[in-house]
Amino acid sequence: DLKNLLNSSNEFFDFTININYQSQKTYSIECHSAILSSRSEYFKGLLRSKMKEYQERKVEFFDIRPEIMQSFINYIYTGQIELNHENAIEMLVISRKFCSEELIQSITNYIQK
Amino acid sequence: MSRKMILRVPKFQEPKRMEKSEAQRLWLLLKDAIVEVQHMNASTLSFEELYRSSYSLVIAKRGDILYTGLEEVNNHHTKNLLDKIAQAVDERFLIELNSQWQQYKLQQIMIHDILMYLDRMYVKEPQLKVFDLGMFKWKQNVLIHSQINDRLVRMLLGLIHMERNGEVIDGALMKSLIQMYVDVSLKEKETYKQEFEERFLLATSHFYKSESNLFITNNSCGAYLKKVEIRLIEEEARIKQYLDESTGPKLIKACEDELIANHMQTMIEMETGCRTMIQNDRFNELKLMYRLFQRVENGLVHLKNEFAGYVRNEGHKIVNQPENLKDPNALITSLIEIRNRFEKTLSQSFANNRDFINSVNTAFESFLNENDKLSESLALFIDKKLRGGFKDSNDQEIDVIMNKVILLFRFLSDKDVFKKFYEHYLAKRLLSGRSFSEDLERTMISKFKQECGNQFTSKMEGMFTDMRLSKDALDGFKNYLQTSVEMGKLPKIDMSVRVLTQGFWPTFPPHSCTLPPLLSQYCDLFTKYYCHAHTGRRIIWQTNIGTAEVTFRLPKKTHVLALSTYQMLIMLLFNDAEKLSLKQMAAGTSISFMDIQRSVKPLYSGKYKVLKRTPAVEKSKELSENDIFELNLNLKCKLHRIKFAATSQTDSEPERQHTRQRVDEDRKIEIDAAIVRIMKSRKALIHNDLIVECTKQLSSRFVPQTSMIKKRIENLIEREYLERFPDDRRRYRYLA
Repeated sequence: DLKNLLNSSNEFFDFTININYQSQKTYSIECHSAILSSRSEYFKGLLRSKMKEYQERKVEFFDIRPEIMQSFINYIYTGQIELNHENAIEMLVISRKFCSEELIQSITNYIQK
Repeated sequence: MSRKMILRVPKFQEPKRMEKSEAQRLWLLLKDAIVEVQHMNASTLSFEELYRSSYSLVIAKRGDILYTGLEEVNNHHTKNLLDKIAQAVDERFLIELNSQWQQYKLQQIMIHDILMYLDRMYVKEPQLKVFDLGMFKWKQNVLIHSQINDRLVRMLLGLIHMERNGEVIDGALMKSLIQMYVDVSLKEKETYKQEFEERFLLATSHFYKSESNLFITNNSCGAYLKKVEIRLIEEEARIKQYLDESTGPKLIKACEDELIANHMQTMIEMETGCRTMIQNDRFNELKLMYRLFQRVENGLVHLKNEFAGYVRNEGHKIVNQPENLKDPNALITSLIEIRNRFEKTLSQSFANNRDFINSVNTAFESFLNENDKLSESLALFIDKKLRGGFKDSNDQEIDVIMNKVILLFRFLSDKDVFKKFYEHYLAKRLLSGRSFSEDLERTMISKFKQECGNQFTSKMEGMFTDMRLSKDALDGFKNYLQTSVEMGKLPKIDMSVRVLTQGFWPTFPPHSCTLPPLLSQYCDLFTKYYCHAHTGRRIIWQTNIGTAEVTFRLPKKTHVLALSTYQMLIMLLFNDAEKLSLKQMAAGTSISFMDIQRSVKPLYSGKYKVLKRTPAVEKSKELSENDIFELNLNLKCKLHRIKFAATSQTDSEPERQHTRQRVDEDRKIEIDAAIVRIMKSRKALIHNDLIVECTKQLSSRFVPQTSMIKKRIENLIEREYLERFPDDRRRYRYLA
């Protein structure tokens, strides 16, 4: 499935997500622009506007913990997310930022339970 | 479950207060970027940075700065664009407008993407969404600006006009510019409808009004129809090519109104129009007309009425043509021919439309019953066919003709009249041995049976049974004669008798005559034999429909004459006399004078004359009682056997009257039966309801006259089947 695409050392990667969170060392996620843009409104905008990120084939985040970003990218690829006390609020924040309506809905459901 | 959930709340997400200066800084950053986007210099900007800035402003509750700022920037930008576009001259105008519009649309998508968080989390009704705001500004400041809108619509309509006149235009450019009106419409394509569509439809109606008026006056209807069809196809293509699909039905309606609806009357009436096409069986043109008329309201009604009117008119002509009135065969043949012709028109041109078929049938019903001779003519037509007219046709052809007969029969309102005539001619065929084939007779009857049921054909079938039983009876009689004592004393003659059951056969008008003694004796013998074999039966001799063969001895030659019984009686008189007046013939045979006249005529005026009139008079002269006849001993004829017609083939007027009278008698009985049936089940009924019900029940056989029903009701009251209510004279009660 699509998760395998993300884990294997796949030569079709064409886009890199770099996370420089606080003073930690840069965390990179290799992925596929086609999948990102078709499954996320945010990445769709980012890629189709053909700005710097599109030209350089990478994007950099400062305000997100690497684990959270990784979970979000996993969600983009698989449509599944593992929620727990630890990550729920942060996942809600990131899903709101990226305007991922379905994810916002499932996290809200989780929290209300 | 009451487990409390502890959620980890990260520190950095605690709501931060944002300084005004910080907010201003972020907005300026975004504003510069938007201006860069508007100048197509986006490639060096960082999407994430811009997105994050907008996100930060919104979560810090400073979305308002961003939204109003955006509105201003768009406002400013579109106003600049207006000047640039308005300056373009001639065709450059459309191209410039289009390229600016295409760019603007892309920019608005980018701005929307950057400001997605604002769009989703901040913008609330009635504020416009970010993209819609961009569209609205373009509409307000560019599209509907007085320097643009009118000029644009005029140019677009001008191009469409050119294309309708056969020139080639840039379809892609048209599509993009027309779609612009749809894109800037906020709801239900209102800008498109108001600014473009309305004027386009008006121009279309205008164009086709003048084109169609001109074309139809200078061309034939057929050419016009083809033109219309092509135009409609072109407009369908136009919709697909560059109009919004919602315009489709309206555009087609406008074209149909101008091209078809407004000219329907003309297309029907013009010299080359519908009437001529129907007259000349122009199936393809009619088919096209049908297809086109079908598209407009009431179109087919017009066409149908015209066609039905033509059918009625043609039928009316046929049933009233003097030659046809004299010749039943020609009448029915022509009717079958036009029926075939119209069926062809119906199937080839009018898609066998139910309504069309029904109205043609109604037309047939009306003209076929215009003339009360039709029932008889139809019976005569079949008579001729069954007397040998089918000789040269194969089974399939015969079946086709029979089915057409049934079809015409179906339209007759007085089926009982037809039935009487049919029975009459069937009886004549059977008794004179002129029926060509019993199989065909039975096929025809079975078709009537299918159509009307057992009751209709039971008498006809009875006739066939009688014919068979008669043959048996005759064989029995011949055996009886051989063993009979009396037989030895009598000279031998070959007598053939048919026993007809009363009721199955038409009652022939009663005639009397005196048979020669020998024949009388034979008749008595037969009566004796038959009544002995079938006790309780009574035999009445019908001499007037019999035939006889008589040997005619001339000095040099001998002939056998095939005659009717009456003719035989007349000829036998000449054994004892040289000359006889008609009066004397009548006296010698007890035959009525009228029958004498009819019987004598073929004997002296046909091809072979066995009698001659003395003194010779002009042929055409009417016969009178005192005319004298003698045998023609100079008869020259190579044939040994000479056949004479008994009477003319069609019935004489009195006979026809007689048949009609019998129909009336039968109707009385049918009406009585119907009234009693109805009253028995309903017990009490108001006069009018009884009339209606009665007419309905009888309609499959004939259409009773109201006056006749009234008389029958009176009669039934007299006979105490019914009575009037004492308090309401209009109501009847059934008396059991």
